[in-house]
Amino acid sequence: MGKVKVFWKMSCPKCKKAIDMGSLLKEEGFAVTDYNLDTFEGLAEASFYGVMSTPSIIIEDSQENLLASFPGDVPRLLDIREILAKT
Amino acid sequence: MAVIRELKKKDTGGKHEETTDLALFVRTSDEYISGWDRQRIVKALVRETYVEKEIAEKISQEVEDQIHNLRIKVLTAPLIRELVNAKLIEYGLEFARRMHTRLGVPLYDVDQLILHPNKENANVPHSPEATNLTLSEGIKKEYGLLTVFSQDVADVHMRGDIHLHDLGFVDRPYCSGQSLEYIKKFGLNLPNSIAQAKPAKHPEVLLAHMVKFAAALQSHFAGAIGWDAVNLFFAPYLVGKSDNEVKQLAQMLIFEFSQQAVARGGQAIFSDINLYFEVPKHFENVPAIGPKGEFTGKVYGDYLEEAQRFAWFIFDVYNEGDGIGRPFFFPKPLVHITEKFFQTPGYKEFLNHICSVAANKGNTYFVFDRGETAKISECCRLSFKLDEKDLSDAKEPWRMRYSALQNISLNLPRLGYLTKGDDAELFSKISELLEITVKAHLQKKDFIQKLLDLGERGPLALLAMKRDGTSYLKLDRASYLIGMVGLNELVKIHCGEELHESRRALKLGLRIIAYMKLITDKLREKHNMHFVLEQTPAESTAYRFAKLDLQYFPLQSSKVVKGELSKEEVYYTNSTYLNVGVPINPIERVRVEGLFHPLIEAGSLTHIWLGEQNPDKETLSDFVIKTFKNTTNDQIAFSPEFTSCNVCQRTSRGLNEKCFYCGSEEVEGITRITGYFTKTRSWNKGKLGELRDRYRNKNHFMDKN
Repeated sequence: MGKVKVFWKMSCPKCKKAIDMGSLLKEEGFAVTDYNLDTFEGLAEASFYGVMSTPSIIIEDSQENLLASFPGDVPRLLDIREILAKT
Repeated sequence: MAVIRELKKKDTGGKHEETTDLALFVRTSDEYISGWDRQRIVKALVRETYVEKEIAEKISQEVEDQIHNLRIKVLTAPLIRELVNAKLIEYGLEFARRMHTRLGVPLYDVDQLILHPNKENANVPHSPEATNLTLSEGIKKEYGLLTVFSQDVADVHMRGDIHLHDLGFVDRPYCSGQSLEYIKKFGLNLPNSIAQAKPAKHPEVLLAHMVKFAAALQSHFAGAIGWDAVNLFFAPYLVGKSDNEVKQLAQMLIFEFSQQAVARGGQAIFSDINLYFEVPKHFENVPAIGPKGEFTGKVYGDYLEEAQRFAWFIFDVYNEGDGIGRPFFFPKPLVHITEKFFQTPGYKEFLNHICSVAANKGNTYFVFDRGETAKISECCRLSFKLDEKDLSDAKEPWRMRYSALQNISLNLPRLGYLTKGDDAELFSKISELLEITVKAHLQKKDFIQKLLDLGERGPLALLAMKRDGTSYLKLDRASYLIGMVGLNELVKIHCGEELHESRRALKLGLRIIAYMKLITDKLREKHNMHFVLEQTPAESTAYRFAKLDLQYFPLQSSKVVKGELSKEEVYYTNSTYLNVGVPINPIERVRVEGLFHPLIEAGSLTHIWLGEQNPDKETLSDFVIKTFKNTTNDQIAFSPEFTSCNVCQRTSRGLNEKCFYCGSEEVEGITRITGYFTKTRSWNKGKLGELRDRYRNKNHFMDKN
């Protein structure tokens, strides 16, 4: 099963939308993890993926291979579901 | 040096004893011989320490008796002082003893210094001027540790928990980046100068001003002197000049900087020139200054052609090398690769040109300014990102100058030995070390402020001058650098694997640096001072830390340090680098090392060691483009190796024991030590160990041969 990683910052106006989307996906049973870039754990994880802007969403398969990345953008819920459905 | 000899008439209860030590004559530090006078000890104690006169009298009397009783025939002033110091300790006056310290160097050490080269900095030649530098550095280091920094800061430095860089230059800031516009507008008008020059009318004169100003600055800064957008700011002087004239100027620029062995103990000026193929956005509409310091009526956006032509010829000169084909060590050319670079017609040809230089001679540094980022780079990898205030200054570019006041590196592997795999303990120790690092920065700032307050009559007159209404050194906007050594080894100690060995290890490395960044950001806010992380060059620090850890943590560190223990050629992997000896595809190394770069605000660099290979320019161009577009890496440099023959005066590729052409063994190896080229014979043992280990990326690049 795929994993969704949501990267956000307190000061980012668009980030709430990404967090809300993550919550929805969680409710639907998908594995979603939030990373707050104001914490060092979140910042480190973002650095690992080369995330340079917020919000960013990364989707990986169960082997941690990158399936999709949405830097600085909030994609449509539909698109994420579609990617996750293939995993 | 003082010598007390001969005789003193000592009253011994009415009798006069004639002995050979009845009168004392002192050869003083001021190079004259004076008679023994106990009151000199009293005066010195009262003047230099806080002890009461009565105690001083008592101590001086006891010292006089001691000298008499020991029947010392030849005494030096340092010995008298040490006898006094011993008394101060006897009296429990240790702080007074500290204040009464004499700074100096043992005779044996001076002998060694004069006879043998200093290897702490490979850029320092071996010459009388260099010996002077090393001697004065020794005294200023002691001075700094005794008076500029508090005891706890001095102790963490001495123990090797941190390294205060350039302690021998404790009365100077670290490095400086500036614009040519300052001397274009104000001429060469420096405090203490015996002749003043008006703004230059001709490009050759502007160049002469630039070099002289750089030399003057070098004697006020411990590190690099960087120049922003050199080709662009020269451009108004190049209108109507023939190609030959422009190339001649390019030659003069590089030879003048590379041959000026005048600064800091006869070193070349550690100089960086920032170059652009496009006109940077923040200079496009800025009124241009031309001959005589007058505005030309045009803006810099109008000088693209001249700026490009000059940049092209500068790289022609680099490609040719010096008189025997060796790479120039200085000035270091830093080419900014930006989004606009790729939109500028002709960029492909220029990129191939500078890549040709990178392959042939290794000079080119590729600095990646992605998005809206603008910066000025210098030193081995330091860069100052331009903030809103800086971009506002850019409208009057003579106001643009940046400096870092001090550089301090943390010994990361030691934290691993101390915390034994405990995460919470590790992060707590990092915080402690950052706190004391900031304390050291505050102390250096106070000291430099004190010197600056003396104005144009003080020792930092040049930095206090206010030609544009503001002090040349903008202390309130200075950066304070915090570096790290041995992340790779810390990760290995903490989780059992090196950075390149697993995703877990790499993520741990990123957590450590992210943590350092966030704590540094908090400390910046708290103190309203610009503390920033930097990949310090650590040319000798990576060696020093490894040596000290082998001493204090022998069991743990002997399994971790890199290099050859039997030869004492040991080192830690610098900053956040991956193990230099591991065969990793270079683009992967650039990508993975680049993951750390956004966290290290004040500059990072990835080296691609080429050994004897000479890749074709298109291969390197492609590599540079991929690095810009697909990674977060800040800066890369390709480093070939050379052997230069002192007999036939020819230069060949690779590091060899004999000359490729004439077979002579009178050869010198040349390659990049950290962020600059130098001769390998001047390298310290740690760097020699690293040189042996470097993976040279054989077969990863298509060789043009």
